[in-house]
Amino acid sequence: MELDKFSYDNKIVKAFIIATVIFGLVGMLVGLTAAIQLFYPIVNFDLPYTTFGRIRPLHTNAIIFAFVGNAMFAGVYYSMQRLLKTRMFSDGLSWIHFWGWQSIIVAAAITLPLGFTTSKEYAELEWPIDIAITLIWVVFGWNMIGTILRRRERHMYVAIWFYIATFVTVAVLHVVNSFAVPVTWMKSYSFYAGVQDALVQWWYGHNAVAFFLTTPFLGLMYYFLPKAANRPVYSYRLSIVHFWSLIFIYIWAGPHHLLYTALPDWAQSLGTVFSIMLIAPSWGGMLNGLMTLRGAWDRVRENPVLKFMVVAVTAYGMATLEGPLLSLKNINAITHFTDWIVAHVHVGGLGWNGFLIFGILYWVVPRMWATNLYSTRLANVHFWLGTLGIIFYALPMYVAGVVQSLMWKEFNPEGFLVYKNFLETTIQIIPLYMLRAVGGALYLTGAIIMTYNLIKTANAGKFIANEPAEASPLAVVPKVASGGWHHQVMESKPVLFTVLTFVAILIGGIVEIVPTFLIRSNVPTIAAVTPYTPLELHGRDIFIREGCVNCHTQMVRPFRSETERYGEYSKAGEFVYDHPFLWGSKRTGPDLHRTSGKYSDSWHYNHMLAPDAVSTGSIMPPYPWLFEQTIDLDETAGKISALRKVGVPYPDGYEGQANEDLMKQAKNMTENLGMEGIEVIPESEIIALIAYLQRLGKDIKAEKVAEK
Amino acid sequence: MYKDILQGIDHIAVWPIISFSIFFIFFICLLWWVFSADKTYIQKMKGLPFEDESEPTGGWPWRKVLVLFLFLMPGSELMAQETSDQSFWIDPFNNPMMPLYVTTTLVFVTLVLVMVVAVYMLKVLNMFVHQAEKERAEKLGMTYVPSVSWWTKFWDQFNASVPLEQEKDIDLGHEFDGIRELDNHLPPWWKGLFYGSMVWAVIYMAIYHFMGSMPLSGAEYENDVALAAEQLRAYRASQPVTVIDENTLTYTKEEAFITNGKKVFMSNNCGSCHRNDGGGNAIGPNLTDMFWIHGGDIRTIFTTIKSGVVEKGMPAWGKVMSPSDVRDVTFFVMSLQGSNPDGAKAPQGKEYVPPVEETADSIKRVGDR
Repeated sequence: MELDKFSYDNKIVKAFIIATVIFGLVGMLVGLTAAIQLFYPIVNFDLPYTTFGRIRPLHTNAIIFAFVGNAMFAGVYYSMQRLLKTRMFSDGLSWIHFWGWQSIIVAAAITLPLGFTTSKEYAELEWPIDIAITLIWVVFGWNMIGTILRRRERHMYVAIWFYIATFVTVAVLHVVNSFAVPVTWMKSYSFYAGVQDALVQWWYGHNAVAFFLTTPFLGLMYYFLPKAANRPVYSYRLSIVHFWSLIFIYIWAGPHHLLYTALPDWAQSLGTVFSIMLIAPSWGGMLNGLMTLRGAWDRVRENPVLKFMVVAVTAYGMATLEGPLLSLKNINAITHFTDWIVAHVHVGGLGWNGFLIFGILYWVVPRMWATNLYSTRLANVHFWLGTLGIIFYALPMYVAGVVQSLMWKEFNPEGFLVYKNFLETTIQIIPLYMLRAVGGALYLTGAIIMTYNLIKTANAGKFIANEPAEASPLAVVPKVASGGWHHQVMESKPVLFTVLTFVAILIGGIVEIVPTFLIRSNVPTIAAVTPYTPLELHGRDIFIREGCVNCHTQMVRPFRSETERYGEYSKAGEFVYDHPFLWGSKRTGPDLHRTSGKYSDSWHYNHMLAPDAVSTGSIMPPYPWLFEQTIDLDETAGKISALRKVGVPYPDGYEGQANEDLMKQAKNMTENLGMEGIEVIPESEIIALIAYLQRLGKDIKAEKVAEK
Repeated sequence: MYKDILQGIDHIAVWPIISFSIFFIFFICLLWWVFSADKTYIQKMKGLPFEDESEPTGGWPWRKVLVLFLFLMPGSELMAQETSDQSFWIDPFNNPMMPLYVTTTLVFVTLVLVMVVAVYMLKVLNMFVHQAEKERAEKLGMTYVPSVSWWTKFWDQFNASVPLEQEKDIDLGHEFDGIRELDNHLPPWWKGLFYGSMVWAVIYMAIYHFMGSMPLSGAEYENDVALAAEQLRAYRASQPVTVIDENTLTYTKEEAFITNGKKVFMSNNCGSCHRNDGGGNAIGPNLTDMFWIHGGDIRTIFTTIKSGVVEKGMPAWGKVMSPSDVRDVTFFVMSLQGSNPDGAKAPQGKEYVPPVEETADSIKRVGDR
């Protein structure tokens, strides 16, 4: 039979590789800056744009979507063409995808420091960017499915299955979680409220880890690891079993981010049990990766590519064992909201994603430039710096998490908290924060060395923009499937395969989310809970803009140590008007859900101006601009009507009266502050923020009084 | 040659493992002994004279050797201050426990190094054996087939893997850009893990949600609170009754109270509103002058601290600290009277003049300082 002659598009891969390296360095640098701010708050240079609350989301978005995202696309474009024996479906779509994605990243890098954020973790970008992401993702999917349909290989290899699952699931997650009502061009309110918003968000957040950081990288592992080791994949049936079980089970595990919160208990338990059931499917991937290296271990010692990959796959195995263990209630009670979780995600991020990317880059760049790696020795130096970096990062954070958590929970025999002042527990772990920054710096240094090494490699070689290839066209009559595997039939039917994947990933989400919305008993109403006043609403939006939720939770869990410290534990019914929810995921500072009345307005005023002067040793940054900027009263009406659209019962026509109420409340506050010698105008942002803080948890206190 | 002698022994590779195991167990025991040793016993050992007259000459002075081995450390202050309860991290270098920690760390590091060296030696030995076997096979003109190590055999069996040599039998014939696929079994332990986790999941859901035999988060909280209340009752019953009655409380300049009061004042960040020296700041009033917003008699100060003035931002500390701590803070605050720190806040509230009998007793004396 005559062979088709065609070529692989390397240029698009090169573009994505360059973007990966650049955004990787940027993302890590931002992360290091944020890490340093936790012991030297001054490193934000007193600029609003560089405060921890704004650059922490910048770091996570840069790493997840810019570094890991671009690497994913580079790897997918490289491997898919070769696995399917065809060029990408359309070069035009490839380049729309590339430039579209980079524009989204640039938009994120501009809007996040400016404070345009939805505050939903890993989905912080505002609605116009969300729409752009959807469009570009469709372009990616279109290009991918088109390529699959034009393949010259009858069966789809396991890597392609994972790519399909990635495309389908990320699309569903992104669209459902981003539902929002726009207020202005750069402000929207989540369609969901409170408990429901939390459930949707963590269904998304957890599966962003699953289907953006895990499944595409398992796909990449299945291509690049056997290629680099020149060994056959260990077990085809393990691939099948772990692929389907992984994508089916992963989607259920989201609620483990919400254990001991106001989420209904049945949903929490589903999160726990599906997390435990996830151990084996995840380890299936690790096993198939490591066992593929059977007979190649002697080469692992000498070959930096394999070394990176082995550590990556091992880190994947460790992180996917640790995750389920963290989902057990008794362990979660200690680790949740602490730095342990930060360590956990970084074992995954630095170890699994980072090291696999490095391994792939060291393997693919010399091939695309038809040369040898410039320096194996430098690659080895990078390997050891990176490994040391991970250790220096993770170990101090484990210790910090346990130390702080145990300090939160310690009672003396008289039944009082030993560390009543939250700040004591933070100050205790600051040396560990310093060590963590050392770990991050080592890792970044390694990445810089890699950049140099790759540039030198590329300069020494000659780039092959279009790599010639040949393959026989797909036979009209399909070959008889070998081994009698039913799965083989499916591998030759990409549309059927995609539909089945779609069904598998929908089930878990539907079973968990739909009842939480429809069954009233899941969120028992509390009569005393009323919508925010217009001033509080402005304050809440400032709270969101400044990213306060990155360090302060609003979720008092039902533990004696927390009710003793903060007050009554949080109830589902208290959050029904919270669009979006602001429960948070990390307590670098204390929980704020019962802040109302705990401190005077003047305390908040002075504290926001200079936290360290009020609480000696505090690592919270000052917020001087809140005292200069004023809230935009013209936006009040829009905010009220947007919230009414998503179900907050403001009376009809309240838009016209809102600003009057707002000014009344604000003036009342400024008069009181005036009596304490603080002069401030009622429209200033600080007044709105204080009004919001003084509202937090107030409703349930009012109800308690009413009960008596 | 020496290596020929070695490789002539059957199962030579096992011997380093055995010796290494013995070594390992020895070190574990040693570590355990060091960590669990009774400190008074160590003290006694330390006190043994180096030249023991009573020991029969020629006898093995094992105790001395052991002590020397364990505590090769500078200074003789080892356990002299071990009873002091100061935290180790305040001044680690001069802490009496430092040498012990350093030594155990060194022992641990040595242990790790020994393990590394032992493993390496094992590998080298293994290589020698293989090389010699290969040479012998070549001399005899046979093709050399390396014998499979016990570990590989075990590992293959454990995972139900087809051995590397028979890999061709399970090649599925798939080929994707040069990548082939084998048809190994699912590792049995992995299958067990998977099935086990499913069974566990069903049992978990049943126990929590269908049988209700384990408490859900709300009930767990109630139980926890009830248990704590019970423990507190038991604790109080076991303690001498110290009732602090604010109506009969009188100020005394007792050092112990004031020192503790100061500690509590500092650790609860009272200074965030009143400054650490009590001089007051933009938020809270000056505590060192004679002027009081809520009253300056001991009873009022006590109740202000205990119950707070929530509308003005003063928390009710009685909810989170014991009555004796509240008393000590009260005493500490009163001891600040007249200390006049630099930059103290201007007076607020009414001047409080202590009644005559109280003046004679205490306030006067403090004010005179």
